[in-house]
Amino acid sequence: MNQPDRYVQFVLPAGEQKVSYKADTKLAHAGTFSFRSEDHTIGNLLRMQLHSDKAMVVAGYRIPHPLEPVMVVRVQTNGTKSPEEAMQHALQDLASEYELMLNEFDAQIGEVTRQADDRQLHGL
Amino acid sequence: MVFDLLDTDVSSANALRRVMIAEVPTIAIDLVEMENNTTVLNDEFLAHRLGLLPLVSEMAQSWKRPFEWAHDDDMIETAFALDVTCTVDGVLEVTSNDLVPLNPEHGVFPVNYKSETEKPIVICKLRRGQQLKLVARARKGIGKDHAKFIPVATAVFQYKPKITLSASAMAEMTDDEKQAFVHSDPSKTFKFNPITRMIEVDNEESYMYDEECIVKARELGRPDLVTITQQQNHFIFRVEGTGVLPVASIVRQGIEILYRKCVDLELGAREAVKLARDKDAGISGGGALMIDGGPGGGMGAPGVGGGMDMGGPGPGGMAMGMGGPGMGMGGMGMGMGGPGGMYGGGM
Repeated sequence: MNQPDRYVQFVLPAGEQKVSYKADTKLAHAGTFSFRSEDHTIGNLLRMQLHSDKAMVVAGYRIPHPLEPVMVVRVQTNGTKSPEEAMQHALQDLASEYELMLNEFDAQIGEVTRQADDRQLHGL
Repeated sequence: MVFDLLDTDVSSANALRRVMIAEVPTIAIDLVEMENNTTVLNDEFLAHRLGLLPLVSEMAQSWKRPFEWAHDDDMIETAFALDVTCTVDGVLEVTSNDLVPLNPEHGVFPVNYKSETEKPIVICKLRRGQQLKLVARARKGIGKDHAKFIPVATAVFQYKPKITLSASAMAEMTDDEKQAFVHSDPSKTFKFNPITRMIEVDNEESYMYDEECIVKARELGRPDLVTITQQQNHFIFRVEGTGVLPVASIVRQGIEILYRKCVDLELGAREAVKLARDKDAGISGGGALMIDGGPGGGMGAPGVGGGMDMGGPGPGGMAMGMGGPGMGMGGMGMGMGGPGGMYGGGM
């Protein structure tokens, strides 16, 4: 059977870079990021986040081969910022979004448990 | 657990859903050493069944996965022993309660272990004289590796519906027609208020996007009675755990994993861009050296082919050179450059 081991989907081989970048040689303000051991979860998330950038001309992702754990994001901007900057901004924005989500989730869980405790107290 | 997620994109909601399913770590039996198996089920079959048993996984967050870099005091696995022999006539059930934790201090047990209210999970059935004896090792893993590690039974989200009823269309309808409309929806989204004699939206969130009520409104000749749209930035999540982790913990870990991923990738992307820039700089440097004929450029170095090297060392670098010793080909060639122009001509 030529099926690769399942762990290659999430284990980064020794000495391998998680992310690599290659600027487009034929097109200005364009480049390709390759992410190892990432899939549609991050691919689509990143693509949509890049779309929300005003400087974005093209942002797309693909998984070149289903048996290879590589996800590729192609970015082309209108030149007001470089593709590298756009990618960094997108990832920073996503990180702060999830940080906010985490804080609000904790706050809500705290609120709900407090209410439940109150109810129990009054019920007794 | 049902919760709402607001002011975000579908991709974000979907990423959270996918991460909860595939990347929140849990503990499950991963390796089984059979000592004696005289049951009707074969070893692999039983090993698979044991793997699917839900184990209390609250410890998974502090554990390390088998391939991760770990200290000596890091937890990687825990073991269970199982030894059941049937000595009675009839059928003896081997259940999750027969698993004996060899390291109870690790806090990993089958879900509802020795519970007085919940029934255990049957692994196998024995007849007289049959024995099942094994040691099972449980490890940490994620759903991407194997479905047995998935902590959720349900993890779905939907758009919150926005339902508006037209008062003018309702005014021209009889009470029977209104009742008929209300009952057309199978999920009881609407109700008829007998005092105001109006249709009201009872529970927006129960609407299943089945459009039964829209069909009914059209049938009644009132196509403008109800308009239903999806709120594109308001999601209703429904998450149900398998019992291995509290649901709130699954969601929290899901968000946390996504956050961690974004931070890591941001660092990775920054590094990658720096690496790509350094490479570019190194290549154009190599080109300059090559024209000087100095060391470091690909051309003059012994053993690197001769001929024509086009663009080998970076943009604009082009030079002619004689073949080095030991490579007698010296033909004309074109090479795409790697660092230092090692892929010279002479192909």
